[in-house]
Amino acid sequence: MSLDSLFKPRSIAVYGASATDSRKLGNTLLSNAANGAGDVVAVHPDAAAIDGIPAVAKLDRRIDLALISVPDKRVEAAVADAAAAGAGAAIVLSSGFGETGAAGRVVQDRLVTIARSAGMRLVGPNCMGVVSHLGGDRWLNGSYFWRIPNTAGGLSFVSQSGAFGGMFFAHMRASGLGLSRFLSVGNSADIGITDALEWLGDDAQTSAIGMFVEGIGDGRRFVDVARTITPRKPVVVLKAGKMAAGAKAAASHTGSMAGSHAAIRAGLRRAGVIEAADTEAFFDAMDAAAVGLRKKPARNIAIVTISGGPSVLAADAAERAGLALPTLGRATIDRLRGLVPAFAALGNPIDLTPQCPIDNFIPAIEAIYADAAIEGIVAINCGLDMKPFGTGVARGVAATGKPTAAFVLDAPGVEAEMAGAGVLRFASPERAVNALASGA
Amino acid sequence: MKTLSEWESKRRLADLPYPREALTGSREEAERFVSALGKPVVAKASGVAHKTEGGLVRFGVTASTVGPIWDQLAAAGDGKVLLAEQVAAELELIVGGYRDPSFGPLVTIGIGGIAAEIFGDVVALLAPPEPGEVANAVAQLSGRKLLQGIRGGPPVDIDALARVVDTVARLLVEDPSVAEVDCNPVMVCQGAPMVVDALVVLADHASA
Repeated sequence: MSLDSLFKPRSIAVYGASATDSRKLGNTLLSNAANGAGDVVAVHPDAAAIDGIPAVAKLDRRIDLALISVPDKRVEAAVADAAAAGAGAAIVLSSGFGETGAAGRVVQDRLVTIARSAGMRLVGPNCMGVVSHLGGDRWLNGSYFWRIPNTAGGLSFVSQSGAFGGMFFAHMRASGLGLSRFLSVGNSADIGITDALEWLGDDAQTSAIGMFVEGIGDGRRFVDVARTITPRKPVVVLKAGKMAAGAKAAASHTGSMAGSHAAIRAGLRRAGVIEAADTEAFFDAMDAAAVGLRKKPARNIAIVTISGGPSVLAADAAERAGLALPTLGRATIDRLRGLVPAFAALGNPIDLTPQCPIDNFIPAIEAIYADAAIEGIVAINCGLDMKPFGTGVARGVAATGKPTAAFVLDAPGVEAEMAGAGVLRFASPERAVNALASGA
Repeated sequence: MKTLSEWESKRRLADLPYPREALTGSREEAERFVSALGKPVVAKASGVAHKTEGGLVRFGVTASTVGPIWDQLAAAGDGKVLLAEQVAAELELIVGGYRDPSFGPLVTIGIGGIAAEIFGDVVALLAPPEPGEVANAVAQLSGRKLLQGIRGGPPVDIDALARVVDTVARLLVEDPSVAEVDCNPVMVCQGAPMVVDALVVLADHASA
């Protein structure tokens, strides 16, 4: 099923911009849409133009994507107008439908009927819209978000919550990682997360997928779709509502003990989807997936540091996460002995010490990367801004491709070297370890 | 919802490993069974759920004591008494199954015993399980080390446990009228799982 007209529209119609008050949400949507995608027209009963964009009373041409942000009572007419003109897809951002109760649900079902009988796909209602990188510096912002990142990359994200979409964009701005597609599915009257996942699985521009999930209505289909994707592209899920009490008064012990989250967890496990425990773990695992930390699972890791205490915290986290900290090979240790101070601890964590001669950081770290017993590296540097520490990590990654996660504090030179090599830095030693473990 | 008796439930799950047992209709029949077995048995009332909580399970019953116990349990239940070989277990597990409206039939594996509800150490998997999924699920349990052998004892035979899980899964997958299954406890004796009690719950109306 193609969602091309949703993610790669060449022409857009916007319903719901005000001709007299450009502070309305519909006007934000119109200016967002006009700011990137090609051909944009506003649909308005009597204006000839809105905020400098031409307007028509009824849609008079085929378009790829209709963005609908009119008051709930006028949504049905707008959907019918877009469907009659032959729109490929419509996103209803307006609220006041299935989420409000049975009466809203009836109207919502009518929207689906209108769309399906015209062969038009429907997103929403009650959603935040779509964001998509169209190639080069061209972006589609068919959303209410007025600030979206403009760094292109391989990560795509699907959300059942509009507000979590805002948290996602804030995280993307902070991480600097690149975005491919974003979709807020809202009430999922027609297109749900499984449909979006299926399309993203085949999207050449998408290399990793994050999802915020409140419920999965088509569990078995989700599993069937996801398991065809996860061998090629990591899929990371944050499920909200894990603790919701099992409402069923089960006669069996197992049914009630397993809880309401057990079924989704079972499905995600079979599908090879990574499930994150909370927001922090989700963004860490998603970032790790986006930079390809999962391509080579690492169970045997080395913690390379000049900072004692934080590296012990990292070692604790590694044990909790089921990662092993093997001893380095004899040849590696002999090589390190010639490079680092005699008092350096060459177990694992490997503490090169701040007294390590600056010229020796690069060969020492390269030697650790080259050790056959080590599959992944956690690099920790608190406040010793000696650039070669970062260079050693960068060269190790370049030479071996071993998955690497870092915790760097107050060492901008080191951090810049790592960033240049695509090494992710995390907010604590434990989170660096957990991100690496999410791929193991 | 209709809960089948233990005896009926076990007939629906005929492929599971059970202790030697008999559903007895009279004192005389009970005495003959215990004498022939030559060792103590567990006596359980029939046609009643949550028998342990109701004091309707008696251990260490012999040929000479079975008579009066039989009368009490028969009166408390449906007039019959289930007698079973008493097994010595190093570990208790729970295996079950139920249906999720979105994900369909699921099977569960959990650590059993008197604190089972307190620890809630249960993992679910989609039914029927695929090869390797039972072993992976067991590795998700907090108490997974209990299954690796207690105090030098043998580890749980995971293949045999997988066969128990498969049998429960097959009933749920093949019979849409089955809403829930509960094998509790599954006693592990010298590594081998043995289903001591089983419960099958039927839905009021057959549903997927």
